[in-house]
Amino acid sequence: MHLGMVIDLKRCVGCQACTIACKSENGTPPGVLFTKVLDQVAGEYPIVKKKFVPVLCNHCQDAPCVRVCPTGATTKREDGLVLVDHDKCVGCRACYVACPYKNRVFLKKGALKTGYFGGNQMTPFEKAKYPKWQEGTVVKCTFCVERVDQGLDPSCVQTCPADARIFGDLSDPNSKVSRLIRQRGGYQPQPENNTEPSVYYLE
Amino acid sequence: MAKTMPLVGEEFVAGYRLQTEWATLIAAAFFFGKIGAGLFLMSLFTDSSVGALVGLLIVLIGKGGAHLLYLGRPERFWRALTKPGTSWVARGFWAMMVMMVSGALFLLAEPGSGVWWAAQIIAGVTAFIVAVYDGFLMNSSPSIPLWNTAMMPVLCLFYSLLGGTSLTLFLVDFGLTTVTIEETLLSNLEIILLVTNLIVVILYLLSMTNGTAAAKESLRLLLKGSFAPAFYILAIGVGLVFTLFMAYFIGVAGGAGVVALITLADLIGHYFIFFLFLRAGVYAPVLGKLTL
Ligand code: SF4
Ligand code: SF4
Repeated sequence: MHLGMVIDLKRCVGCQACTIACKSENGTPPGVLFTKVLDQVAGEYPIVKKKFVPVLCNHCQDAPCVRVCPTGATTKREDGLVLVDHDKCVGCRACYVACPYKNRVFLKKGALKTGYFGGNQMTPFEKAKYPKWQEGTVVKCTFCVERVDQGLDPSCVQTCPADARIFGDLSDPNSKVSRLIRQRGGYQPQPENNTEPSVYYLE
Repeated sequence: MAKTMPLVGEEFVAGYRLQTEWATLIAAAFFFGKIGAGLFLMSLFTDSSVGALVGLLIVLIGKGGAHLLYLGRPERFWRALTKPGTSWVARGFWAMMVMMVSGALFLLAEPGSGVWWAAQIIAGVTAFIVAVYDGFLMNSSPSIPLWNTAMMPVLCLFYSLLGGTSLTLFLVDFGLTTVTIEETLLSNLEIILLVTNLIVVILYLLSMTNGTAAAKESLRLLLKGSFAPAFYILAIGVGLVFTLFMAYFIGVAGGAGVVALITLADLIGHYFIFFLFLRAGVYAPVLGKLTL
């Protein structure tokens, strides 16, 4: 099994529903985004088109973040998910720097103290979600591992109103993701870095 | 990929992004590691136990302290020894620990004894690794083309040797140690290293002109962008040109004050060139091939 995601740039409408779904699912503190949708302009005036590019951790199969981690906190699972064990992370940020996609976030001191509304007043939601994070460590998208382990899709996939994100088994040639990549010429971000991302884009 | 995209911050726009996470403290750690290891190596070469001790202390307190201050969870620092098989952070940490232990043994053992020889060799090898490993660490990040070059460890090595030579001259001129080689020889070595470093920096920058668009963006930031004043004035002007001028035309004949000035200028340049190389690291946009 090799879990991965296909992102159809033709379908994405840039609504950021996935960004919000991710924040809600993971309960990440202010300023921490595991996924977001970037605006990108293709072409040059007068022939220009604006596209929306959702980005997230690509769960690379030859991930530099796994290689450079001195503690073994960042590891790759059998099913391809790249995860961080926050109890082992020392916050050296070698992984942060080594990720070619800049998809990692460092939780600074105090990141879990203020909450969205300041004044050291946390909402019940924040109080419930923050204990799973640790200040001084690096965090990133997990493909919603808790959901995936229950056989569910990641939250961003489930929420996308345009069906622009598709999740599945890349090692199964008959899975929807594999078929889409084959039929539509799916490509990985920055293939020149040889990181073998598990996220593919369709144009 | 042609550079048609902007340099962006954290906004939701695709483009080149600056490396911001490794800056002042990591530059300080790299700096202390290189000058401490360089001084230790020079001290082995010149038979100066005071120099060796100072070199060890610079690495232990300067480099170790900067790393500890930087870590998000310093209380778990020992975990960074776990994966030397793939991680240059872990390798560097191991090298530093072994250098400390073998360096201390070397200083404490009876000169000429078996332990003294063994400790000297191990400490020398690990000091060499401490001097260059940050070059490999930076080079191992495919994300930042400015660093992802085999020239980075070479640059680290030459800066380490230069820092070690300058500090040895400083210790000698201030009467803090004696060395077994002529002071003029050390002074000439410093001039040769200054010229070599200047050439290596120029070659480094030239190699970036053939690099990817992200490498060129880093180069633009260093030579024409926001980092240019610090690069020209501190890294090149003070660190190499002024130092070379002073070392060549006045040198040790100018007395301890001039040697102190040369050492200070060299160290300022050393810190800033690596600080600026860290800060000018640029990531390529996630997708470059969007078509209409
Ligand atoms: S996208 Fe970055 S953080 Fe995610 S697996 Fe790849 S290198 Fe690691
Ligand atoms: S910050 Fe944490 S996860 Fe990242 S390389 Fe360092 S120890 Fe590993």
